[in-house]
Amino acid sequence: MKYKIIRLLDVAGMNCFEPVVRLCYGEEPRQQVRKIGLFIVAPVVVFALFIGAWAAIAPFIKTKAGSLPSPVDVAGSLVDVYEFHWREYAKKADFARTGDDRDTTLALVTQQLADATERKAVVEAELAELTATLDAETAATLKKYEEAIENQTLVYHASQFEREQELHKLGDKLEVSQDEPREQYVASVREHQTLSARESTHLKELRSDLAAIRKSTTPQFAALLREKNDLDQETQFLDKRASLLSDGNRRSNVASAALTLKNADAALAAAAPGQRYDATLDYLGAEERVLSSAGAIYAKPPTFFDQVFTSIECVFVGFLFATAIAIPIGVLCGLNKVIMASLSPLISLFKPVSPIVWLPIVFIVVGGFIERPDEAWVKPAFLSSAITVALCSLWPTLVNTALGVASIDKDHLNVARVLRLSMWDRLTKIVIPSALPLIFTGLRISLGVGWMVLIAAELLSSSPGLGKFVWDMFNNGSSDTFSQMLLTVFVVGVVGLLLDRIMIVFQRLVSFDGGATAL
Amino acid sequence: MSTGGEQRYVELFRLSKAYPNPYGDRVTVVDGFNLIMKRGEVVSLIGHSGCGKSTVLTMVAGLNSISEGSVVLSGKEVTSAGPDRAVVFQSPCLLPWMTAIQNVRLGVDRVFAHGTRQQRKEICEYYLDAVGLADSMDKYPRELSGGMQQRVGIARAIALKPKMLLLDEPFGRLDSLTRMELQDVILKILDREKITTMLVTHDVDEAIYMADRICMMTTGPMARVGQILDMPFERPRRREEVLEDPLYYDLRGCLVSFLEEQDRRKHRPAPVPKIAESDAAKSADASDQADALAHAEA
Ligand SMILES: Nc1ncnc2c1ncn2[C@@H]1O[C@H](COP(=O)(O)OP(=O)(O)O)[C@@H](O)[C@H]1O
Ligand SMILES: [Mg+2]
Repeated sequence: MKYKIIRLLDVAGMNCFEPVVRLCYGEEPRQQVRKIGLFIVAPVVVFALFIGAWAAIAPFIKTKAGSLPSPVDVAGSLVDVYEFHWREYAKKADFARTGDDRDTTLALVTQQLADATERKAVVEAELAELTATLDAETAATLKKYEEAIENQTLVYHASQFEREQELHKLGDKLEVSQDEPREQYVASVREHQTLSARESTHLKELRSDLAAIRKSTTPQFAALLREKNDLDQETQFLDKRASLLSDGNRRSNVASAALTLKNADAALAAAAPGQRYDATLDYLGAEERVLSSAGAIYAKPPTFFDQVFTSIECVFVGFLFATAIAIPIGVLCGLNKVIMASLSPLISLFKPVSPIVWLPIVFIVVGGFIERPDEAWVKPAFLSSAITVALCSLWPTLVNTALGVASIDKDHLNVARVLRLSMWDRLTKIVIPSALPLIFTGLRISLGVGWMVLIAAELLSSSPGLGKFVWDMFNNGSSDTFSQMLLTVFVVGVVGLLLDRIMIVFQRLVSFDGGATAL
Repeated sequence: MSTGGEQRYVELFRLSKAYPNPYGDRVTVVDGFNLIMKRGEVVSLIGHSGCGKSTVLTMVAGLNSISEGSVVLSGKEVTSAGPDRAVVFQSPCLLPWMTAIQNVRLGVDRVFAHGTRQQRKEICEYYLDAVGLADSMDKYPRELSGGMQQRVGIARAIALKPKMLLLDEPFGRLDSLTRMELQDVILKILDREKITTMLVTHDVDEAIYMADRICMMTTGPMARVGQILDMPFERPRRREEVLEDPLYYDLRGCLVSFLEEQDRRKHRPAPVPKIAESDAAKSADASDQADALAHAEA
């Protein structure tokens, strides 16, 4: 059992948990604890240090969209995107609910809505009260400050005016033809300018201080405000649900459309001779509407997790393209020196081309093939991203496959020769199995490259996915969206890590050292 | 098949091999190698390491191109490798992604393509059983010890029902106990199946115990047959009987002295090329004589 678990961990590439298992079985506790310290505690500590450093530095990096989001903000934005996600799905489900299910849900939602509205009222009242007291407190300070600034402004203005007058007078009396007085005059004018500049900066500082005091809130106030915002959103959401469950529901849409249809039918039956054609048109239109409302689904905006999923889908489509191209060509190259020699210039030529170059070209070409993007079963933007991923990620697989096939053990080829295996048997029974570990190494690198390329491709082609999400957030430019961008960094990282892990498992399974037997 | 065919089942006629050396000119490793084998006979090829034994064997197998001369097996000239000449090398070279039985099965499927699945499976099982692996058929090579892997290799070769079995130091990497076991395994199978066998070895005792005739090769370059010895032991053999036979030490002495003689020649200061050539000519005569002697005896 113990060895089985250890073996499984090994195959899954999670050797770091091996000491934990061994410790559970009481094997050399001291050594295991040391290993746990090394392989688990140390990385966790470093990660914690990283988070700490980030939290410490974040407030000092000021941008137009507020300061750099702290880890807490990013975690909060994860909660936000998750909330958005499940709310949209709840709405979508509500739209399609029928019968008893719909009634019970509606009752529940109405109840929740009432609760939320109540709580909101309480919070609003508290907020109003707090604002009143705070205002009374700050009003006095603010007033004093404002007056002080006003006075200061007047003083500066007066002194500036005075200096100017003085300088004008001096200038009138100046003997311009003489060097020394002229230089002196220039110097004093310059002095006047610097002085004025200094004064106006001082005023600006005072004013921004004032603004800060106006904006400054107590933590309690901020918390209340946040709570109020949340409740606002919640009531809005529940309101929407309620409407989707009652008159906004698909059934009700269908019912009202059916009613219209019935009326149109009646109108047609009663139509006077001159109006029959138009009445029939109305009837047909109503019929059409019944059909379309019966087939309608809630138009849900893509949520963050939808985007993650789309991205993963896209990278796999691209990866499949890449695999389908790279492995056969790689095998051919590995088998035949002539093919290898003739293809290697092409390979070396295209290998270093960046996705940024491929994307527009692919986009145009794909656009040429798909004439009506709205009706096509696959979105051109999606397809171009996938193809770009394929173009950039097929090289590691190709090169590794060729290497794997070319470096096949001579003894194994001798087996094929002695048995006079057919080309097909030779390929499927000898060549490919023996090249498989290297092929999978290539595939793993390819998938990693593909994932990196994909985010860039999506960002450029604005095909739905994480890249587009980041781009949208960038264009939004609020501090909320900023922390969602940082969240994306982590999500991209985690997904990439998982993809890599999956490939490691496959790689271990096809290697000959017995990985597969553990399962 | 005529008795002539039986008597001259395998013919190696003036077999030569020249390898290109790194500078481009060709080095003749084996030169004018003549040997005739009867059907069902076990001939052991013995000689110093590097003298060209493997070269001869791989040429017979068809895995190595023949520079000059020819190999004829049961009336047909050998041009390429084929399942009628099964080979077992020093390293088992099993396919690591297949189980023991799958490794055997690969060849059996080729050779007995006309048989049913069940029959083919039975053939594989029979031979794996014969080499003592009845319990480990579904294991992967990595789960088997070196000796067991070599057993699979032997089963794989014999299951092809080859006309000729080529063994290139098949026990070279095994410990002496396993080696003796495997020698007996092979002898038992050979006694039953009567496969014409060429056994390359540099172990004198192994050669005496297993072979009907021992063909001693001179040390290369331009190696050839130096001397051929007939083994006077009956088949099936028993190790103790062979070891206790009064002739055993004479034969062994003869072999060892031949090998030592070759060794001395090798370490002698290199003669001028011209003389080397005449030297080779002399030993060619010797080998021809030995050949003729063998024939006369047969
Ligand atoms: N592919 C090759 N190319 C060049 N020289 C070779 C090659 N294979 C073997 N030789 C040379 O031929 C000689 C005989 O080799 P081999 O037949 O393997 O000897 P043995 O099996 O008797 O130990 C050696 O000197 C070796 O260096
Ligand atoms: Mg050898």
